[in-house]
Amino acid sequence: MGGLLSYFKGLFGSKEMRILILGLDGAGKTTILYRLVGEVVTTIPTIGFNVEQVTYKNLKFQVWDLGGQTSIRPYWRCYYSNTDAIIYVVDSADKDRIGISKGELVSMLEEEELKNAILVVLANKQDIEGALSVAEVHSALGLDALKTRTFQIFKTSALKGDGLNQAMEWLANALTNRK
Amino acid sequence: MKSFVFVHSTEKRMFSLLYGFYKWVLQKDEYFVVILGLDNAGKTTYLEQLKTKFTKGYKALAASKITTTVGLNIGKIDFAGVRINFWDLGGQEELQSLWDKYYAECHAVIYVIDASDRSRLEESKVVFDQMISSEHLSNVPLLILANKQDIPDSMGVREVKPVFVSAAERIGNRDCLVMPVCALNGEGVDEGAKWLVECIKRNSNNRPPRERED
Repeated sequence: MGGLLSYFKGLFGSKEMRILILGLDGAGKTTILYRLVGEVVTTIPTIGFNVEQVTYKNLKFQVWDLGGQTSIRPYWRCYYSNTDAIIYVVDSADKDRIGISKGELVSMLEEEELKNAILVVLANKQDIEGALSVAEVHSALGLDALKTRTFQIFKTSALKGDGLNQAMEWLANALTNRK
Repeated sequence: MKSFVFVHSTEKRMFSLLYGFYKWVLQKDEYFVVILGLDNAGKTTYLEQLKTKFTKGYKALAASKITTTVGLNIGKIDFAGVRINFWDLGGQEELQSLWDKYYAECHAVIYVIDASDRSRLEESKVVFDQMISSEHLSNVPLLILANKQDIPDSMGVREVKPVFVSAAERIGNRDCLVMPVCALNGEGVDEGAKWLVECIKRNSNNRPPRERED
């Protein structure tokens, strides 16, 4: 019965997926959110959040971009429940703060509410020379410690709009395929 | 007094019996298998096929939707009384440096080769040699898959195997099998997995399972 019901649900428009965009301040979260919507914007530091509805390949996403400054990071957890996926944005050119970024990521992933969330890491700002490579971001964030969660890293430049399509494509497939 | 003691101990025995049964039902030995190989060898497609074969009702991701892995895909199957977790890692050159982080915790390695691509066989061999030299992989059973057998003129086991013979010394006395598969249509996928699970169980003295309870 439940199977039948979900089958029909799948036919008539699927449930909106809830996605959080997180990362340190200045990583490019807001620029990415509006790139996904299809707009190019100049941003100011987000205090609080931006939320937009994004449709990608018949999948509806409700995407939350939460402010990344130190003082407001503790509030991220208020948004964790019912989250289907996390897009974690890293400034690949900011080698000094990648350790802090790792710390935030690690403590976030320990949360019970995010146990089943799919993780996408965006190694952003690849347009800047000397930006960390995928393998370097992988090591710097300590992603090898994640052994029970599907995740994927993408090189992006939110400024140029590079890499976001591949990331969304993968995420859409992973979310559809998830059981 | 005596009868009291008797009742007491029976109850206790009964309890421990039931509890043991309860634990036996819920507890499954858990093993980890890492899937390696060059990029575009078919590792993720193979994992999807494994999930399809061993998980009831699982609908595999269409092969056309599978993209280059940069990160980790996981899969778990329950088979022959144990749970097997798979780690499918990215195979691009840059990402190969991350493989060894998974060696110490894994119980077996599946190494996938694109048997239709003769031009990269040597490269695959070099990467394989490097992997198998890791001390963290000592004693770990090894399944080498000559994938993409559906493609005409792809190399069979007879052609692939000799390439790996030079690594025989490093492979040593661990269980090792070279098998033809087609991850796309699933041919040979379950045979290989069944063989590997037997090896893993046999090898559990060297690499004990992780115990878990649901």
